[in-house]
Amino acid sequence: MPDAHAAELPATRRRMSMTDSLCWLLAIAVTLLFFFPLYWAVSTSLRNPADTFTVTGIGIPFINFTPTLDNFRTELSTPEGFRALRTSLFVSITATLLALMLGMPAAYALARFRYWSNADITVWFLSQRVLPPVATLIPFYIVFRNIGLLDTPYALILINTTFVLPFVVVIMRQTFLDLPVELEESAMVDGASYFGAFMRIALPLAAPAAAATAMIIFAFTWNEFLFSSSLGITQTKMMPAHMAGAVDTRGIQFWFMATRALIAMIPPVLLALLAQRYIVRGLTLGAVKG
Amino acid sequence: MRWTSSVRNFFLMPAVIWVLVFTIFPLGYSLYAAFHNVTNETIVNRMEVPRLDKAGEPVLRPDGTPRMKTEVVRETVTKWEFVGLDNFKRLFTDTVLHEAIKVTAIFVGVGLAIQMTLGLALAMLFNRDMPGRSLLRTIMILPIFTTPVAAGYLFFTIFYEEGGPLGWTGIPWLSNPSWALFSVIVVDVWQWTPFCFLVFLAALQGIPDELLEAVKLDTNSNWTTFREVLLPLLMPTIVIVLLLRFAEAMKVFDIVASLTVGGPGNATQSLSYLAFRTGLRFFDVGYASAIAYTLLALVMVVVTILFKRIRTIYA
Repeated sequence: MPDAHAAELPATRRRMSMTDSLCWLLAIAVTLLFFFPLYWAVSTSLRNPADTFTVTGIGIPFINFTPTLDNFRTELSTPEGFRALRTSLFVSITATLLALMLGMPAAYALARFRYWSNADITVWFLSQRVLPPVATLIPFYIVFRNIGLLDTPYALILINTTFVLPFVVVIMRQTFLDLPVELEESAMVDGASYFGAFMRIALPLAAPAAAATAMIIFAFTWNEFLFSSSLGITQTKMMPAHMAGAVDTRGIQFWFMATRALIAMIPPVLLALLAQRYIVRGLTLGAVKG
Repeated sequence: MRWTSSVRNFFLMPAVIWVLVFTIFPLGYSLYAAFHNVTNETIVNRMEVPRLDKAGEPVLRPDGTPRMKTEVVRETVTKWEFVGLDNFKRLFTDTVLHEAIKVTAIFVGVGLAIQMTLGLALAMLFNRDMPGRSLLRTIMILPIFTTPVAAGYLFFTIFYEEGGPLGWTGIPWLSNPSWALFSVIVVDVWQWTPFCFLVFLAALQGIPDELLEAVKLDTNSNWTTFREVLLPLLMPTIVIVLLLRFAEAMKVFDIVASLTVGGPGNATQSLSYLAFRTGLRFFDVGYASAIAYTLLALVMVVVTILFKRIRTIYA
């Protein structure tokens, strides 16, 4: 029945596009739902404290209330807030660099050299991520207290480096595996050492992936809370601990809570967006290529 | 194509030594502590010392003897007392711990079930041409990297029962024990469903179109296609996501610390939070280590079962 078939095709296509547009609307609705908490934080942070609970509707600035930047001004002008920001930056950047310096050669080694079992060594590095950090918290606390490193940024740097090292090893190993080995081997024929081949050939080619890895592990260090709240007691509060501390002392002040949450969130979220292309590979520890 | 030069150890060893020092050592220390009752005692010593003037010379009485003052020196002495398996025996009778295990199990079980299903459904939903898809995908990524503590506080403002944006529901989000645990799960679902979604979407897009077109010749049923073709293809990805989420969810601490502080009562106290409080708030270091090892053991059981599958990924 050629006629019936011909008549069916456009109808099918119309029905398909109907499904597609329904799916599209559903996708937008879901995205908005997931975006709502962040939107609410922005909205709360722009309100006058007096407006916090009195806004109508869904709190759209200019429509439901008059926005103000006062909360941000107050928050950023406190010396504690500023110090927390500085500590966070110092710890996160140093831990990131240290993890890259230790992890990249190891990753390269696991991609290029033969060991008794490269897979087992890689999985051993990975097993760190499975370890509940609270199991190492108390020993670290006692040891750092005894050697006088408690409440210094160095304690936090050492620990965070350990936690993000597996990310570097596993992600960069995959990156090096994807690079053609011939380039390095021909460099070595021309007299380069293994170290030279790594530094001059492999490393520059792996630079984009290394940068993305750096952003992801920076975000992880920045967000870490268990250790930063336990070991950075007064002098070395990082942003998350600063936020928690302020809630304890000042009581619950929703406008500051939202403002501080936003200030804490912005750096890691921005970096993650920059590293978007590598997020899937990074967060699945190289197991899924995005 | 693998090199065998002995130079290899210079590349690998720094990282290996670092990890050994900073994980194996604390784990060993914890195990040692678990067999001990650790108590902190503050010893107050009173000492008679000569009073000094600004130049650092002793102040003398008229009769030539130095004036004395009493100085109080406080010293914290940590005592380690070997108690054998006592801390581990306590695990079996401690109802607070049992509740924490239950809370953690519900949090992980319910949370992961929602995240995996919703993540997969959303990945299917987004796996088609639609206007502005990459923008929507980018917005969906945002929760993953938000600071978990900040997310907890953020949701505290949202779950606020009088005047919060969800106040109209009349649900006791944080004041009722069952709802409070559900609220903690909601925050985790909000943060990590996007991760599951993102990974599943990447996996779906890795499936070649030719394959799906070939399947269309056989069946028109979307459900059959999903169950017979897509699901088996996605299985390795599902396993790895499940494993990663499991390992992370078992550690849950930040959301509990910021959203509910373990309460009301102990209704949202996770194992990590309990171990933290026992060790660093009540300074019962030995028992806290035993709790931490319980958590570690629970994680290891599941990970060991899946170990072979993980290993093949990196072989």
